[in-house]
Amino acid sequence: MTAMSPSERRLHKELMSLIKEPPPGVTVDTESVQQNLSEWKLNIKGFEGTLYDGEDFQLLFKFNNKYPFDSPEVTFIGNNIPVHPHVYSNGHICLSILTEDWSPALSVQSVCLSIASMLSSCREKKRPPDNALYVKTCNKNPKKTKWWYHDDSV
Amino acid sequence: MSFILELITSFVRKMLELLTFGGKTLTNTLKIYVKTNTGRTLTVNLEPQWDIKNVKELVAPQLGLQPDEVKIIFAGKELSDATTIMQCDLGQQSTLHAIRMRPPTIQREKLLSMSLEEEEPTGTPTEEASKPLNETLLDLQLENDERLNITDEYRVRAKAHFFVHCGQCDKLCNGKLRVRCSLCKGGAFTVHRDPECWDDVLKPRRIPGHCESLEIACVDNAAGDPPYAEFYFKCAEHVSGGEKDFAAPLNLIKNNIKDVPCLACTDVSETVLVFPCAAQHVTCIDCFRQYCRSRLGDRQFMPHPDFGYTLPCPAGCEHSFIEEIHHFKLLTREEYDRYQRFATEEATPPPPCGTLGSVVCSALPQS
Repeated sequence: MTAMSPSERRLHKELMSLIKEPPPGVTVDTESVQQNLSEWKLNIKGFEGTLYDGEDFQLLFKFNNKYPFDSPEVTFIGNNIPVHPHVYSNGHICLSILTEDWSPALSVQSVCLSIASMLSSCREKKRPPDNALYVKTCNKNPKKTKWWYHDDSV
Repeated sequence: MSFILELITSFVRKMLELLTFGGKTLTNTLKIYVKTNTGRTLTVNLEPQWDIKNVKELVAPQLGLQPDEVKIIFAGKELSDATTIMQCDLGQQSTLHAIRMRPPTIQREKLLSMSLEEEEPTGTPTEEASKPLNETLLDLQLENDERLNITDEYRVRAKAHFFVHCGQCDKLCNGKLRVRCSLCKGGAFTVHRDPECWDDVLKPRRIPGHCESLEIACVDNAAGDPPYAEFYFKCAEHVSGGEKDFAAPLNLIKNNIKDVPCLACTDVSETVLVFPCAAQHVTCIDCFRQYCRSRLGDRQFMPHPDFGYTLPCPAGCEHSFIEEIHHFKLLTREEYDRYQRFATEEATPPPPCGTLGSVVCSALPQS
């Protein structure tokens, strides 16, 4: 505890507040976090009254030692990847705050809120148009993708 | 009763002295140089509890004057008799200026002769002795209305505090603000008003004053307008190496008087870096280093046409580039070397020396 780096200190604080006051529909998989502070698994529920009502998803957050000056790597994992125009079937998410619009003033909580609102505002369950090609050719790390954000509404 | 009081005051004084000098000196006596405008320099030993009247009594006979014929100038202010040495942020081997008061008749004559040629210079201020600048100056972060409505309690906390990168100590140090004449560079200079913002301190020709460093007062132009003050900084953590021992002011580093949490680690630190963006984003010094380190690793510093190789606010705000690149000296020596190498490779000529404040780059060892 004594020799925590600034990025570990920040993660520790975020984790505490996320466990204490989680945003609606989000729970932390504390077991995963206890093993490794730099990889968190979060459960997120599809909200009532949206296309994802009753579904459960799992998000994986990976942090490097530059966090929060560098964005976390965030992907959907598990066997239920939401079918959404900005979510590829390998779990990669096209969301600008995860790359170029990231700011250290954002947090795990604000990323969760953005993802929840992205899901909630969806009108039609479908994969991105280039899903097949992207999934075949992309890097494992979604942050290595040169995203082309074309939809500012989410 | 008075015995107990004395005991208490001497105890408090001892504590204060410990605070002021960080317990570095065994004896609190300060060896101080006193410069006159006739080219003499006296060396005197001053006790922290002495006041300026004592100093005058000590110095005047050596100059062949009466104590009330002498005025003492330090850091842009003529010091009042009641000011104690402790109140001035004097370090060992600092310099005070002792000037013979001009007999009032001569001044009047001079003014008359001036007004014959030109209109009388506007607002010749009445000069009066005051407390030292470090006592009166409020933190430059404060807005004008905050300055006016300040409570006494807050005033103590809001006293101006400066940080420098000291080449000799090779670290972030407390800094001391000093004032000299922009023309003759002499220190027997009194300002017409206190600086109220960083531009007042860093930019030239903002605050006029009165120079008595030479026998004939400096004038800015043929019309006889007063000269401007030039502000510079010294490191408060090592014994002064003379009047040319400058340190680079780190104007973005501030005392966190408003208790703003760090943008990155969310801790509330005592000393912070406030980015020059409209939102005034704050990071603690550790997180600032981490930010620089991470951007340096990815070679994401930007070559700015005016400031050099620099970084914006980590939140990506507009118009938030760090102008004073000495802030990057907060990195370790190896990291700073790397920063300089990258900067050279990106081939943006660094800004000319002395554009900010009066930092003379020769005083900063080039690593």
